[in-house]
Amino acid sequence: MNRLTLESQYKKYPKGWPQFVIGAVVVTLIIIIWNITVEYEGFTQRGWSIVGVAIRGLFTPSWDVISDMSASGLLYMLFETFAIGFLGTIFGTIIAIPLAFISSRNIALRWVNLIMLAVITLIRAFPSIMYGIMFVKTVGPGAYAGVLTMTIGSVGMLSKLLVESVEDINPGIIESLDAAGCTGFQKVRYGMMPQLSSSIISNVLYRLDINVKNASVLGLVGAGGIGAQLIFAIQDRRWSDAGAMLWGLVILVLLIEYISTKIRNLLATKS
Amino acid sequence: MLEDIVHIFFPRTYTLGNGKTIREKFNIIPYLVIVFAIFVFFCAYFTGTNLPLLAERGWNFFDILHKMIPPNWGYWDTMQKAMLDTINMSLLGSVFGCAIALPVSFYLSSNFKLNKTYLVTHRFALSLLRTLPTLVLASFLRMVLGIGALAGTLAISVFSYTICVKMMYEYIETLDMGAYEALESTGASRFRCIWGAVWPQVKGFFFSTFLYCFESNVKSAAILGYVGAGGIGLNISGQLTLRKYDNLGLVLISMTLTIMILEAVARYARRKLVTG
Repeated sequence: MNRLTLESQYKKYPKGWPQFVIGAVVVTLIIIIWNITVEYEGFTQRGWSIVGVAIRGLFTPSWDVISDMSASGLLYMLFETFAIGFLGTIFGTIIAIPLAFISSRNIALRWVNLIMLAVITLIRAFPSIMYGIMFVKTVGPGAYAGVLTMTIGSVGMLSKLLVESVEDINPGIIESLDAAGCTGFQKVRYGMMPQLSSSIISNVLYRLDINVKNASVLGLVGAGGIGAQLIFAIQDRRWSDAGAMLWGLVILVLLIEYISTKIRNLLATKS
Repeated sequence: MLEDIVHIFFPRTYTLGNGKTIREKFNIIPYLVIVFAIFVFFCAYFTGTNLPLLAERGWNFFDILHKMIPPNWGYWDTMQKAMLDTINMSLLGSVFGCAIALPVSFYLSSNFKLNKTYLVTHRFALSLLRTLPTLVLASFLRMVLGIGALAGTLAISVFSYTICVKMMYEYIETLDMGAYEALESTGASRFRCIWGAVWPQVKGFFFSTFLYCFESNVKSAAILGYVGAGGIGLNISGQLTLRKYDNLGLVLISMTLTIMILEAVARYARRKLVTG
């Protein structure tokens, strides 16, 4: 019988050098990529002088923007951003739920759901800014184009997540409803919806978070929301205006995140 | 029929045979549904949502797609550097962000019983930073660092850092700390304890978080060029104002393909990581 000695155990200790070689290769690659990509030409001394002014400006938000109640005021733009994200989520959910049923393996025919899955993958692969540009061309600039963009983005993600949860549902319940002679609609309504509702709601709330955050970016292509004004304020160096909008956006997003986390926890404890 | 509808909102009262009256339970959900519907309609009015307009002009959407086909393949030479930059920026940003996030996330997990005040303030600062879109961060950094990929890379790093730290500390808090305590009782240093007992447990999750960051960063990096922070966005906005839709078509095709390939690679790598 082998005796356990310190030396024999040390021999079993895993060798360190393969990891070291992999690490060295990765670091070298990163340095090469850094040198290809990053240029320092744009960097000047003037940049540093901006930092102090900018930070002071960001922490002294301008009250003119906050108290302005017209269409260029903070509250209007924040509500518009929220409304774009909210409506995008609602419309997206309305489209995504039937789409998810059609594209899941245990409900529809095989060839139907293969086609639908391909469509969903294609929708997801398009970057959302391209949808923004196309919808601005289609329905004109404004918040409506933003709503449509958010709808498409939500459909892509929600239907992918929902397909997974539809394929996970317990088939026994459907079979027993089948045995009781229920129609297809009744099977969906009484056999599936009760199992799915909590996962649908939590996915939708998660998407609402993302949508409100993304709605602020869309302004750049002319699709409404606070984004355009915020970025123009930064580029024009109106730091205190930018500060007001930044704090407004931060508070809006935090508030929505807080509420949706609360509702999701409530659902998780209930079921 | 009408009575049934009314009774959804106003609970019925029954009189039993022994003269006792019973009220139905009050249900608040119908009222909530109505408030919700009114809010949806108000939002729709506010944003100018107009479904007939979409039905009427919806074909324009495909009109633009039609103009993009066939794409102008000759444009590839001009845009390949920007395309490569976009991928490189998101790769570099994810690597730096996640590399810094790894040690910090150990400090921010409450199960190592570190300084509570530091933990709460750092987490709060992170959640403030996380609410900012990458684009806003990039446009701010671009003012400081000048035009180029440096600002974009840094913005992506900050964003990846905030996401990665949050996901990591939430995961680390759910871990089994028995192995850590066992190592601690042998007198190992804190670094040794983490290296021996915690890192093997979080390794797979860390790399899959990194892949997730990389994947989502490629999508968000596409827009950064709009504010001059490097990458393909500059080409998108430039060709759009010139109405060169065939060039735009090539940009779109290459981006879509890149994202699809990266997603497939990430899915494969993640499956490998999960199984071991």
